[in-house]
Amino acid sequence: MFNWKSLLRPSSLLGAALVVAYFSMATPALAQQKKISFLTWNIADQEELFKEWIAEFKKIRPDVDVEWLDKKGPEFPTYYQTQVIAGTPPDIINTQGGLWLEYAAAGGMVDLTPFMARDADVRRRFNADYLANWTYDSKNYMLPFYISKSLLFYNKTMFKEAGLTAPPQTFDQMMDFAAKMSKGDKTGMLTLNFDWLYWPLFQMNGVDLLTPDLKKAAFNTPKAVQVLDALAKATANGGINKVSWTGRWVEPNGAFAAGNVGMLHAHSPAFFFIRGQAPWLNADTFGAAHVPGGWATPNSHGLGISKGSKHPEIAWEFLKMITSEKWTARFSERRKVLTGNIASDKTTLEKMRKDDPLAATVLQTQLEQTDKLTGNWRLANDSQVKAAFYPEIQNAVLGRKTAAEALKDAEVKVNRALAR
Amino acid sequence: MRKNIAPKSRGVRRSPHWPLHVALIVVSALMLMPFYWVLKTSLTGENIFVYPPSVLPKDPHPFYYVDVWYFIPFARYLANSLIVSALAIAANVVFNAMAAYALTKNFKGRGLMMTLLLSCMMIPFQTTIVPAYLITGQLGLLNSYLGLALPTFSTIVCIFVYKASFDAVPRSLIDAARIDGLSELQVIMKIMMPLSTAAVATNVILSFIWSWNSFLWPLIVVREPQMQTLPLGLSRFLTYHENTTGALYAFCIMVLLPGIAIFLLAQKEFIRGLTSGATKG
Amino acid sequence: MTSSFPRNTLTGAGSTVPVRRGAAGSKQRRELTLIWAFLLPSLLVFFLYRILPLAWNVILSFQQFSLFGESKWIGFVHYRDMLEDEVFWTSLWNTLIYIASAPIGILLALAISLMVNIEIRGRNLYRTIVFLSYPLMTVAVGIIWRWMYDEKVGLFNFILRYLGVIDKPLPFLQSFEWALPSILLANVWQILGFYMIILLAGLQAIPQNLYEAASIDGASPRQQFIRITLPLLRPSIFLAFVIGIMTSFTSFDLVYVMTQGGPSHSSELLVTYIYKAAFELSRIDYAAALTVVQFVLLVVLTWVGNRLSGGDAGARETG
Repeated sequence: MFNWKSLLRPSSLLGAALVVAYFSMATPALAQQKKISFLTWNIADQEELFKEWIAEFKKIRPDVDVEWLDKKGPEFPTYYQTQVIAGTPPDIINTQGGLWLEYAAAGGMVDLTPFMARDADVRRRFNADYLANWTYDSKNYMLPFYISKSLLFYNKTMFKEAGLTAPPQTFDQMMDFAAKMSKGDKTGMLTLNFDWLYWPLFQMNGVDLLTPDLKKAAFNTPKAVQVLDALAKATANGGINKVSWTGRWVEPNGAFAAGNVGMLHAHSPAFFFIRGQAPWLNADTFGAAHVPGGWATPNSHGLGISKGSKHPEIAWEFLKMITSEKWTARFSERRKVLTGNIASDKTTLEKMRKDDPLAATVLQTQLEQTDKLTGNWRLANDSQVKAAFYPEIQNAVLGRKTAAEALKDAEVKVNRALAR
Repeated sequence: MRKNIAPKSRGVRRSPHWPLHVALIVVSALMLMPFYWVLKTSLTGENIFVYPPSVLPKDPHPFYYVDVWYFIPFARYLANSLIVSALAIAANVVFNAMAAYALTKNFKGRGLMMTLLLSCMMIPFQTTIVPAYLITGQLGLLNSYLGLALPTFSTIVCIFVYKASFDAVPRSLIDAARIDGLSELQVIMKIMMPLSTAAVATNVILSFIWSWNSFLWPLIVVREPQMQTLPLGLSRFLTYHENTTGALYAFCIMVLLPGIAIFLLAQKEFIRGLTSGATKG
Repeated sequence: MTSSFPRNTLTGAGSTVPVRRGAAGSKQRRELTLIWAFLLPSLLVFFLYRILPLAWNVILSFQQFSLFGESKWIGFVHYRDMLEDEVFWTSLWNTLIYIASAPIGILLALAISLMVNIEIRGRNLYRTIVFLSYPLMTVAVGIIWRWMYDEKVGLFNFILRYLGVIDKPLPFLQSFEWALPSILLANVWQILGFYMIILLAGLQAIPQNLYEAASIDGASPRQQFIRITLPLLRPSIFLAFVIGIMTSFTSFDLVYVMTQGGPSHSSELLVTYIYKAAFELSRIDYAAALTVVQFVLLVVLTWVGNRLSGGDAGARETG
């Protein structure tokens, strides 16, 4: 059995003493340490970068420990809300798309405007159009982490086969091209549908989702019915693959990478996924362009401070550091993204034009036509409006309802959601 | 098709077995089909959106499995999962057996208790996330092995599996044991459990699988990266910035293997039960 | 200490033996204490992680919950909203369909269990193959089945077109009628093994000598099945049935990976709608009300099932 006597041997006593000493030493230092945590959205591959951030910040503020957490999109709200209810929200959060709105509108995010007023040079770092994305009620709530918006990828080989020479310039052309390219098992066009990524298809036809005061639905117009009807017809005859309306991002991106799709309406990060799966991809076979009208839905990642943070000042210091040119350049180097920091994006693109021209053409589109951003309304209950609207779109494009019926029903539901 | 359940001791086969084999082979083929594709993709990493799908693997190589090991801290996650599952299994086998034994006795409120337990099954985990987190926080068990395993320490399904097995133990054996002066705990350990090896095996298998594959709970309750369990590593393979398809499928296979191993180890309990039937009553 | 109850080899340790009250009072009280002591550890776990959370949900369902501010009591507003909520009714209906189809999976598993219980060669292999799908992470099941169902590149359409059964591919997961059954099939594929080991454990509990005695009496295999196997398997079948009622819970990941509840909520289940309401639509109070309604519904179904099968969770009556 266990030899109790061995515990009393000198070596064990020494060992025990050392353990006790270590812990009693550690405690005083811990008591003076402050701690902040930052939660990122599905970017665990950048662990090294975050370690560098933390190490650098340690030099600036040795009295602060920084903790990094990362959650995937579908689990992000679950994790964050649980932490909020438990009273321990991460100090800094990185959100994608419109989620920040829900929290900001409900009073859960720190207003960064006074911080930015104090440190005036911070605002000047960023692309104004992208930065404006994160304002609500005239208050700034987030700084850009990395930016992206939707664009059109196209398969030049399939274009040539169908006798097409350039990307479509109008919506009708788009539908026409899609029909021309969809022979046999090939598909003319795919679009992503999460968040409001499909909205440019409507916006380019002059359809607005809501009235300018964001209080009522404005999409039940004859033009919108026409557009939706065209999309439904294209889906029915194979021009648009149905998975556009029901899949997330894996299927449309994977399908385009397989080389069977003429056009893909997606956001820029999709390029890297596609390239990883598409050996056929090169400058002769692949092109990137704006959709007709230059409209795009931004799907950028922002950085903000939680209202429940115990150290908002320290969090701001950290934000300042990681969005400075040195660190955004480092980030862009590691992940080939644009960060919204004007200076580093310029140098990143310059370098990329030499090292990776194809990626450069894709990322170049991200900085063009930034005045044509849509699908980014400042709605306090954005997700509920989406949930009211999108299923009706599905009903129409998948043939369950006529376009007119679907838009009528959607109008009722959206108005109800807005009134809540 | 006849269901022949005559014992082997008969010596002479009562009816041909080949229809059974045919049926079972068809079932097996259907069950295995998706696995073939998972396995194939884990060895080739090919784009599954290519049409027509290639039936045979093109250039298979085992390096995705190596990738998985290094892509995420696989060894660390594996160790964590093993510890948590070990805790869960140990607690399950003991607590469930005890509860089931209590339920075999006829006492006032037993019906109510069984209704309560059955009702508790109707509460899906997704609806308990926030309060479970708050409670675990109050217990001071956040980000700990115990905190990870605690919600799975007892499962109602397994209590009833034990109960069904205990109910089948003949009264005579228990009475004899009581006469011999055995305490209740000894009755469980020396009489009930040995005669319920299939139930124990079922409990071990199920509690292992449920704690091993548990994803949402570790996601919420674990804070430090080095406390994460295997399923949490899945997110690393689901990014849209890079292609990790082959590695994703390899990861799924690697996470699957221990569950199969446990099942294979416990297999003999299902056989032994059959032959030990002769000792019952 | 002799027992005055009839000795009957068919009667197990179970139902018929009441804890005697009366003269030997303290012994019975001691036994009662022991019973509760044995139940305590499990009950504690359930209390903490099921009952308390349920209570939390009940309370929350009567509030307007604010994540960052004050919550206030609003009575039955959420329940009233639910009545007018189209999505609620759709997901309720889908959940009921799910439950109604559970018996198919159970019957299939029962057939397989009986087959692998017979002493045929390769029995272990068959059993392992059928069980293989259960330990697979449900997310992985969803991913691979999603591909198999794909309209353009999926395996099913490939096989069907290869065999010439259809000439135009079928959009399984993009179809309003087929989305839910498609998910259901994937769920059955995965859960078959689970049903199987529950039923196998139940089959093992049946004493062999009963079959031997019956054979000697000249009973045919079919008679043995009907009069020995089925009745003694009732507790396990009842358990499988209860699991069938909550089968929609295990499809949570499948729905999320394969269809996200679409198209247009045609594959939305109550459990996925609850999660969406809580964490995607930031309406955790409404989600709490949905949870309560689902709980009541499922408990009623379980209770009805229990009554119909003779009460007492399927345990058999004395002979």
